[in-house]
Parts: sequence; C-alpha cells; structure tokens
Amino acid sequence: MDATTAPHRIPVEMPRYGEHHHIFEMMQIMLQELLIHQPKEPIQFMLEHLERDNDMVPRIFILGPPASGKTTIAMWLCKHLNASLITAENLIWNKLSGLAIKALQIYEKEEAIPDFLLLKLLLERMSKEECISKGWILDGIPETREQALMIQTSGISPRHVVVLTAPDTVLIERNLGKRIDPSNGEVYHTTFDWPSEPEVQNRLKVPLGISEEETVKRLMEYHRNITRILPSYPKILKIISSDQPCVDVFYQALTYVQSQHRSNAPFTPKILLCGPTGSGKSLQAALLAQKYGIINVCCGQLLKECVASNSRIGELIQPYFQKKMQVPDQIIIKVLSSRLKKQDCICYGWVLHGFPQDLDQATLLNSAGLMPNRVFFLNVPYDSVIERLTLRRTDPTTGERYHLMYKPPPTMEIQERLMQHPGDTEEKVKVKIDFFYRNSSLLEDFFDNVIYVNGDQDPYTVFEYIESGIIMPLPTKVSQ
Amino acid sequence: MTSTIADSSPRPPGTYTFASRPRPLNCQRRRYRDYYGSSDEEPIRYGNIMYDRRVIRGNTYALHTYPPTSQPDPVELQRQQEAKRKALARKRAREHLRPRSPEPVEGRKHADVQTELYLEELADRIIEVDMECQTDAFLDRPPSPLFIPAKTGRDVATQILEGELFDFDIEVKPMLEVLVGKTIEQSLLEVMEEEELAELQMQQQQFEELRNLELAEVQRLEEQERRHQEEKEHRRQQQLEVLHKQNETSKKIAARAYAKMYLADLLPSVFSNLRDKGYFYDPVERDIEVGFLPWLMHEVDKTIEYNMLGRIVLDMLIREVVETRLNMFEQLGAKQSEVLPDENDKEREESLTTGAEQFIEGSQRSSQRDSQWDSQGGSLRYDSLDSAFTNQRESFERGASFDP
Repeated sequence: MDATTAPHRIPVEMPRYGEHHHIFEMMQIMLQELLIHQPKEPIQFMLEHLERDNDMVPRIFILGPPASGKTTIAMWLCKHLNASLITAENLIWNKLSGLAIKALQIYEKEEAIPDFLLLKLLLERMSKEECISKGWILDGIPETREQALMIQTSGISPRHVVVLTAPDTVLIERNLGKRIDPSNGEVYHTTFDWPSEPEVQNRLKVPLGISEEETVKRLMEYHRNITRILPSYPKILKIISSDQPCVDVFYQALTYVQSQHRSNAPFTPKILLCGPTGSGKSLQAALLAQKYGIINVCCGQLLKECVASNSRIGELIQPYFQKKMQVPDQIIIKVLSSRLKKQDCICYGWVLHGFPQDLDQATLLNSAGLMPNRVFFLNVPYDSVIERLTLRRTDPTTGERYHLMYKPPPTMEIQERLMQHPGDTEEKVKVKIDFFYRNSSLLEDFFDNVIYVNGDQDPYTVFEYIESGIIMPLPTKVSQ
Repeated sequence: MTSTIADSSPRPPGTYTFASRPRPLNCQRRRYRDYYGSSDEEPIRYGNIMYDRRVIRGNTYALHTYPPTSQPDPVELQRQQEAKRKALARKRAREHLRPRSPEPVEGRKHADVQTELYLEELADRIIEVDMECQTDAFLDRPPSPLFIPAKTGRDVATQILEGELFDFDIEVKPMLEVLVGKTIEQSLLEVMEEEELAELQMQQQQFEELRNLELAEVQRLEEQERRHQEEKEHRRQQQLEVLHKQNETSKKIAARAYAKMYLADLLPSVFSNLRDKGYFYDPVERDIEVGFLPWLMHEVDKTIEYNMLGRIVLDMLIREVVETRLNMFEQLGAKQSEVLPDENDKEREESLTTGAEQFIEGSQRSSQRDSQWDSQGGSLRYDSLDSAFTNQRESFERGASFDP
C-alpha cells in the first residue's frame, strides 16, 4: 500500500500548535503583505516580515467630529499602547522631510493640503522604524472619502477604526471650553478636564477657531464627509458615544482596540465547562453538541459506560462504584484520554464537563495533552442552584422528568406520584456546592483566558453567551 | 742516620718516646776486599750479636749502671754486699717454707713427668740454628700459625685383620636381603610409578585431544552464533530504520495533509479581507466615483455658473436700461417742474422710483434664486436703489471669480 494513501492519524499536537500560535492569521497577514508590496525577492521579504513580528501592533484610526475628544483619546491610547501618534499637524510640522516643508508652506498660505501630498507624507511617516515596530494611531485622518480611498489603495489599512459621536449641541458647547497647552499640545477643557497643576493652568491658551460659528461650519463639513467614509471600513468599525465622561470613552475604546476580530482560521473547539452542580453544564453541553456537532463528553457518564461495558477498565472502576468512593484520578484520565483521542473527537471537537474537579486533575489533564482551548465558568448564585435542583422530580411510571417551577406536571395525578432523587436533597446539594467552591479558585488560576458566564439566566441566553465566547478569538494581552 | 719522626700523638708530659725510620743496619762485612781510600771508616768487626756484651739482656727497667767513674764507691760497695746477703737469706727462707711433695717411699724414686699436652724434650744443650731473614716487601704480617709442637716419639698402630672380628658373608646376608629387597621394592615402586605416570600421560593426552576437538567445535559454534547475532542485530537495525522512516513519512504526510486543510481557506479569506479593506476595489465603481462623478459635478457647476452669469448679464442690461429711462424721466420731470412748480413731482418721482424699484426687485428676486449656487451664500439685503445696484455689481463680481 502506498504510504501516501494509507489513512493517517493527525497527531493532536498539530491543530493545537496551529491554534495556539495563530498560524492561520500569520499566514494570512504575510500573504496580504506579499500581495500588496509584490517584492522582487519574496522569500527575503517573507523572512523580514516574520522577523519583524509586528502582526499584533496597534493600527488604529480615530475619527470624530471636532470637540469630540479625538486628540485626548488618541493621546491616552498612545501612552497606554506605546504606539506612535500621527496627526495632520504632526506630519506637517516635521522638519526633517522635504515633503513636510512643502506642506508647511501650503498650510501657511491657509490652503488645504492636496490629498496626494498628504498621502506621501503618511507613507513616509509610516515607513519609519517606530511606526513599523510599535504601531500607529491616526488622529483625524482621513477627513474625506477621497483621502480614505487613497489611503486604502496605497495599502495602509487599520485593524480598528474608532468613531466618536455626540449630539451637535453638546459638541458646540464643549468646543467653547477647549484649551491647549502650547508646550506639548495637550488638550484640556475648562469643565471636564482641568489640569491640576497651577503652572499648567497658567500656560493654557485658547485655540483658534472655537467660536460657535466656526464649530457649526466644521460640524457641517464633518457630517458631509463622515457618512461617506464609514462604509469604507465595514467590519472594523466601532462607534462610541463621546457624550460620556472621558474615562468611560477611553476604556471602551481600549477594550475595543485590544479585541481581535473573528478570523477565518479553522478551529476545532475543545471546550471545558466548569461550574457548581446545577449550573446547567450538561444542558449547555447538550445544546452545543446538537448545534455544532461536537462530541459531548460527560465524565461521570463515561465512567458508567465503561463499567457497563465490562471492559478491563470497567472492572477496575466497579469496586469504587460499589463502595461509593471517588474513582482515582489515574483511571479517570486513562478513560478520558482514550475517549478524547478517538478520531471523532479530534475531528469534530469536544465539550467536556464534570472533570477536572481540583488542581491535581487539571494538571493531569494538561500532562495528558488534553488542554481545552475554551474554558467557561458558569456562575450561578447559591439560591438559584438550590431552587433548580431541589425542585426536580421524576415520574416513576413514565420516567418523565419534571421541575416544580420551570416544568410543572400537567395533572394532579402525576404530581402525587412524583418522586425526588435522593441526591437532590438540600444537604447533599450543599455539600457538592461547597466542594466545588473550595477548588474553583485554584482551577481558575490554572487555566488562562477563562470566560465567566452568568448562568443565572434562561438556558438559551447562556447558550448565546457561550457561543460568542467560542466564536470570538481569545483576547490577547497587550505588552506594555 | 737516624731520622726522627715528629711526634704527633698526644702523650702525657714527661714520657720519653723515640721513633726512627728503619734504616739499614751497617753491614759489618766489607763489600769489597781491597778498598782503596776507605781509611775514613773504622774497620767494623764481625761479631755474633748473641754474644755481644754491648747488647742489653733481660729487663731494661732496673739496669745495673756503672757509675761514671770506674772506681766503685765504698759506701755503694757495702750496700751492694748487704743487699746480696739479704737476698740469699730470703731465698733460703723461701726454700724452707716452700711446700714440697713428700719424700718418695722406699725403693721408689720420684720422677718428673711432663703432663702437658705435648711432650717436650728437655736438653741442656742449647740448640743453635742459623737463620737468615729477609724482609719481604712490606707484606702484611700473616696471622700467627697455630702452635703445633713437632712430633716426637714413635707412632704405634694396631690393625684388625679380616676374619678376626666376624664372618662377613654370614653377617651380611640379612642385611643384604633387606637392602636388596628394599632396593628392588623401591625400584619396583618406581617402575610402577613410571608406568602409572605414563598411563596418566596417555590419558591426559587423549583427553587433551578430545578437548581440543570439542574446543574447536565450540569455537565454531560460537563463531556461528556471533555471526547470527550480528546478522540479527543488523536486520533489526534495518527494520528500525525502516520503521522510523515510515513513521517520519507518515508524520510528514499527516503534517502536509493537515497544513493543506488548515490553509485551504487561506487564499479566499485573504482576498476577501483585502477586498474589505478596500485594497481590491471594483475599478469601474472606483472610476465612476473618482473620475466620472467629479467631472459631472464640475460640469453641472459650470452650467449653473453660466446660467447665473447669463442672468446677471441680463440684470445688468435691465439695470442699464432702467437707469437711462430713470435719468430721462428725471430730466423730463425737472423740466416740467421748472415750468409748473407742484407737489406732483414728488409723487411722480416716488411713483417712478417705486415703479423702478418694483421692476428692479423682480429682476433681483430672480437673480437671488440663482445666487443659491453662490459659494459665499451671503444674504442680499437692500434698502435703496443704489445699494441694490451696488450689491448687484458685487454679486456679479463675486460670480466672476468662479473659474469656469
């Protein structure tokens, strides 16, 4: 048999590696760069690109009407993300470039700078080392659709575009209080952002063009242009209302900028659902399995299946079941790994619940090479759990399961013969919950990128939260 | 010549020592018979040193020295005689007191018998022997030989002849038997031993041969075994290599297949991404947007400008006409007022001016509509005819600043 045609088992490490290092995104970006720049030496270019390793640096446009706080937000973001700030003034007042001097001459004649000159200045600035390695934040560029199109065609494309909005009246009023510190260009406000040092206060100047009429004129211009710019950046846009305190706007912008967009990378979900008993793990796992076709692995169920099938492992487990003792971790891991390494789990993905319950089990899971790539902790308050579990009932004759609050039995006859599972009493439930909460903090620390979901809502809402957690990429930490 | 040697060894003061180098004695015999010219030396007499009175014999520590004068001292003589008499007396006393052996018994005689180890012949005659001596050349003094006095007397021996003590043949038999028997026994034993040894040797040899054969066999088998092992090891290594290669190939293929699947969506997603970013744009749309529409707008602008320009020119014409008419009417009115002074002039002027104003208003309203295209967009206000006209003129000038 030819070796190439024999069925090959793809070792589990490969998908995990690809996912962990974002290989797909890396290849995507490299291919994009190749297509945009079309270098004569593609391999050298690719090597340089990989060495630079700047896929994750910030590339942000900040757009907004005058007096919306663009400059403030841009400066704060720069400081926070350690990127370089580019504004139209920045570009013009650069004394080192011939283009900038030309632009300065035009600016001093009180004329608008032609778009192609602006683009050249931008390209020149962005080819500098600090912009390449640390990223850039563009403040107030592009202003018109023509500029936006030119920037797009030249290959400069941001990863995030933040647009600030506010009602016009607010903006006009706000603009009247604008003050500028001439030494470093920082923008202050008489009401909202007054500096604390008196020397800075004395230095502040009133900038030009903040009268009402000017503001109105500029606003009209802005509104004309922005509606034509926004469709150019469909998927990376976020509109933030700047009618809130500065800090709120800043934090919204920061969280958006640090989030990643959905990528097209192939992704096999390996989901771990953790939570106290009664938080709805089995239900969510069943929903996930049904919708996405991934394999639902419940640890307890798996062990019972082993015992029932009378396999060798099952015979090992049976005495523990009979004595009602905890099955030792080694056996559980063996059973789990044999199930999770089957072809269907590798192919479709799996959702695991009921394991691990403490830190040792989690480390065993890690050493067996079965680390999940999404971990969800379902938070449900104690009372909800008690309510959910203690009111469960079963009908012995039909086998139908009811809940006295959420799914009451239709007739009185059925209700009379309902029976409760002995493990659903309040004391037993409390014991189980305590056991979970004893170990939960250690487990949370062990896994990184844990997603917390409020499990106290109705199941489909919780399901949607879990879905969004699975589909959106995990947040990456920005290095300071 | 005496030559004294310096005395180097420490001796107590007062002792006298004398040492001299050996020197040859003067030969007392003349060397040559007639020796002319040898009257210097005194003829040395030949003499026996034994009978030489000059040689001191006996003890030398109490010498009888003659006084320097030959005459003896009478006191000295007397003393010497007395000393003699005392000595004699002492001797007689001693003899008296000396213990002697008892007198011999009658008829016997004492005889002196020598009881020493060797008998000695006592003779009065002094035996004289001439001896010469020649010193050897500084030989070491040999050790003194043991003193063995010469044998004197006669040896007497006896002899026991054959057959006097015992009969040899008879006596010897048992001994001989024993001897011979022992000898034969011993020789038999020795022979047996030898035979046994020979036997052993043979056995050993046989055994050695067998062993050699077996050893050879063993070696051959060992060699075979070793070759087998090597072969096995070699085959095993080969097999391992093959397996390893297979493994690697399988892994590589798996990696390739996986990478292919993983990046299957790469190209479409890259292109769709670039399209979203606007790098790939629909050229027709872009061309329309960038090239056609601005031109269109510009042309529209131009047309409207021309329109406006036309209206302004029209307005100017109308203004000219109205002005001249007004002037004419004014002139007419002035002439008439000169002839008849009346208040109708004012009315007529007012009516004329209002009529003119209305006329101008109407034309200005139409031009106002057109001046919406004016980029300055200022509002036109007019109080009087003149300001209206000046505004018209300004608006015309402003309009003329458009670059068609």
